[in-house]
Amino acid sequence: MEKISVKVCLGTTCFVMGSANLQELIEIVPRKYGDKVDVSGVPCLGLCATDWEFSKAPYVKVDNDVIKEATVDKVIAAIDAKLKK
Amino acid sequence: MFIDIDCHQVKKYNQNAFGDYFVSKRYPDEGKLIAVLSDGLGSGIKANILSCMTATMLLKFVEKEEIPIRHAAEIVMNSLPVCQVRKISYSTFSVIDVNDEGVARIIEEGNPEFLWIKNGEVMTPTYDTIQSKTFKNRCMKSYKIHLELGDRLIFCSDGVTQCGLGNGKLKLGLRREGLIELVLNKLKEEPDISSSDLSEYIIRQTENIETNRLPKDDISACVLYFREPRTSLIFTGPPFNQKNDAEYAQLFKDFKGKKAICGGTTANLISRELNRPITMDNQISIGKLPSCSYMEGVDLVTEGILTLTETLERLEAGNWDIDNAAGKLIEFLLDSDCINFMVGAKLNQAHYNPALPVEIEIRKNIIRKMAAVLQDKYFKKVNIQFM
Repeated sequence: MEKISVKVCLGTTCFVMGSANLQELIEIVPRKYGDKVDVSGVPCLGLCATDWEFSKAPYVKVDNDVIKEATVDKVIAAIDAKLKK
Repeated sequence: MFIDIDCHQVKKYNQNAFGDYFVSKRYPDEGKLIAVLSDGLGSGIKANILSCMTATMLLKFVEKEEIPIRHAAEIVMNSLPVCQVRKISYSTFSVIDVNDEGVARIIEEGNPEFLWIKNGEVMTPTYDTIQSKTFKNRCMKSYKIHLELGDRLIFCSDGVTQCGLGNGKLKLGLRREGLIELVLNKLKEEPDISSSDLSEYIIRQTENIETNRLPKDDISACVLYFREPRTSLIFTGPPFNQKNDAEYAQLFKDFKGKKAICGGTTANLISRELNRPITMDNQISIGKLPSCSYMEGVDLVTEGILTLTETLERLEAGNWDIDNAAGKLIEFLLDSDCINFMVGAKLNQAHYNPALPVEIEIRKNIIRKMAAVLQDKYFKKVNIQFM
């Protein structure tokens, strides 16, 4: 089975809108899922610039799915849903 | 040729103001630098005011180029009042006007003779003596010298040459000979030492010589070092016109010197255009700033505005002892002599959303302010290109 990739945007907008706290995922995810999931920060996903009118930062990408206004719980739920499939 | 200049000072023991005053200014357009070191009579506030007035006036006179440096210094020498108590002039000074080709004009009045060190030896330049027309006991020395790569000049106040005066070992103080020995030994140990480190070294040593490490006079050492510039490039912000991305990425790639990227979008742009992957530091960033990333061929990759803002604040406050992206960027900047900024003019609308919990400055403004601080406070040569 292919690993699930989780990318936490640490660009300016996402960082001030809360992705600083999402960095917890870097510790939580390996503890919970072992090596089934890869999690890392990225400099910028570029989503705030295209989606700015509805500003839903912070953004996290779980594989190719974008999670808007991401929280740790939302990301964990998305990973769980992926793993069930 | 780049002129690396710095000055370190300590106050006289028990005083709360510096009695020596150092001021220096770079003129990037004319490719020159002017520096003045003045020692005010006495110590504390009185000396501080006297030296500050002398130094700033001289700088203003010389920078305008309306009157030649020699004439300017002469005016100041002739007009310095005489102290009622000590019957000597209110302040002494050294002034240097030097260009990038190494042509230097130096005038000294009352300060210890400067040191000119070339290939580990002290040179003895010739000078003209100019006698004051109004005061018999005043005269100044005027030098015109030609400096080459690797040369160093050291200016100091008499606090350096007279330190340790009267204590057991050095009855007459450190004197010029002692200073020469101190500096030459250090240069043998560290031939490429920066001006900042060398001037600090001189000050620490003189402090150690003083009885109980309590300076009995204000002590200042100013060092100039002529060397190849260390250049660096900072690319921040995507270009206004996306069509130019490839061109700017190429410019970035071809630059010879150290390179930094400040901004997630900018990092992505370079990564895409030059086909170099970015990896982010997985260390969790504590506090206000995201951590750094890594890219082949780039010395530093950080987030943009937040990091730049904190860097600017810390540069202004002179406080950079911090282990985060801003600390790394400051180290990068202070380690360079000529700093080039490539600043993209494209704005990210999302940054100006009123819902953001912090205010985000416009990139251009931060860089302009940073350039001013780097030039005025850290004596760097700064060049900004907006794109």
